[in-house]
Amino acid sequence: MNLSALDNNMFSQMSLRIIKEQELVIGPMAWDEARKVPGMQVVNSQSGEVSLRNGDPKVVIDGLVAQYERLFGRASHEVCREAVRDLIAQMPAEEVPASLK
Amino acid sequence: MANPDPNIPISQVEYKKVTEDLYKQNLELARLYKEVANLIKQRESLVHLVTHKIKGAFTRSKYIFAGILDGTFGEVLPEIKRRALQGLESDDAGIKTVDLVLNAANLASGKVKYEMKTLDFKDLVLKTLAEKRSVAETKGLVVETSVKDEIYNISGDVFWLKEAINNLIENSIRYTKTGKIAVSLDKKNDKVLLSIKDTGMGISEEDKKNLFTEGGRGKDSVKINVDSTGYGLYSVKMIVEAHGGHVSAESEGPDKGSTFFIELPAEKF
Repeated sequence: MNLSALDNNMFSQMSLRIIKEQELVIGPMAWDEARKVPGMQVVNSQSGEVSLRNGDPKVVIDGLVAQYERLFGRASHEVCREAVRDLIAQMPAEEVPASLK
Repeated sequence: MANPDPNIPISQVEYKKVTEDLYKQNLELARLYKEVANLIKQRESLVHLVTHKIKGAFTRSKYIFAGILDGTFGEVLPEIKRRALQGLESDDAGIKTVDLVLNAANLASGKVKYEMKTLDFKDLVLKTLAEKRSVAETKGLVVETSVKDEIYNISGDVFWLKEAINNLIENSIRYTKTGKIAVSLDKKNDKVLLSIKDTGMGISEEDKKNLFTEGGRGKDSVKINVDSTGYGLYSVKMIVEAHGGHVSAESEGPDKGSTFFIELPAEKF
């Protein structure tokens, strides 16, 4: 599925929020882990720039959340959810990635 | 429980548990860090709000006192003029105190942008001292200067370095009842050294610990200077360190005088 520019921007923003919140806890490793997620491209970790490549952006976000949870457990899942709480509140339920519901 | 033998690798389950526990600890630290950052931000904003409001109040009453003195409100009795002059002086002192706190807050938060350029530090010290000489002499203090024949060019911000020098000289005059203030300049190992020595109230061992810290005024300083804020030397330290220098103080104890030193990197030719 091709992402519209609007979707891409919104989901990029979500993933960026998640990575930056994780960065506060685990440091630069947060960016290293994000790079491992299929569909996620870290354009510039210094300026905080990511891009979601072709694919379902919700799946990419779910992949990111799972990547952190696999290593750091439930607590990291909560951190992801907290990081995007306000963004999710404005989204239609069907647009919210399953891991953040 | 952690494996006591470091040669035996821990199991994957143990590894995961340790990693998750470390994550939770880091998470708690990150939360505390955010809390502290928020508190610092709130405090900064409160300091700015309060100081600006107080400065505004002082400035308004200063305008009224100045109006009384220059005849804006018509002829007034000499006694009222005398009182207005006292009010004006008191407002000036208040504004100066507020500026000191405001400057310290700006220096600490990194809001101050230094305009670095080559300057003659000797010239700056002597000019600042000249402005304060009459205050010291009116008090009956002897002012001595000793400047070794050297080139004292440094890279720095004239305004802020003057603030630092001024602060040290004013302190020396304020906390010295009798005797002298000796200002000397020297250059050693590519460093410019300023020392300001007085025969004043000195510094106790206890006060030495807090001397250059925020709000770290001396235990007895308020007895001599009721307006002591504890932000003067804190500002001096921040200014000098921003110029790659070092500030320090020596005293043999209470009533034995003090010497304050500023050391700055000299500009290479």
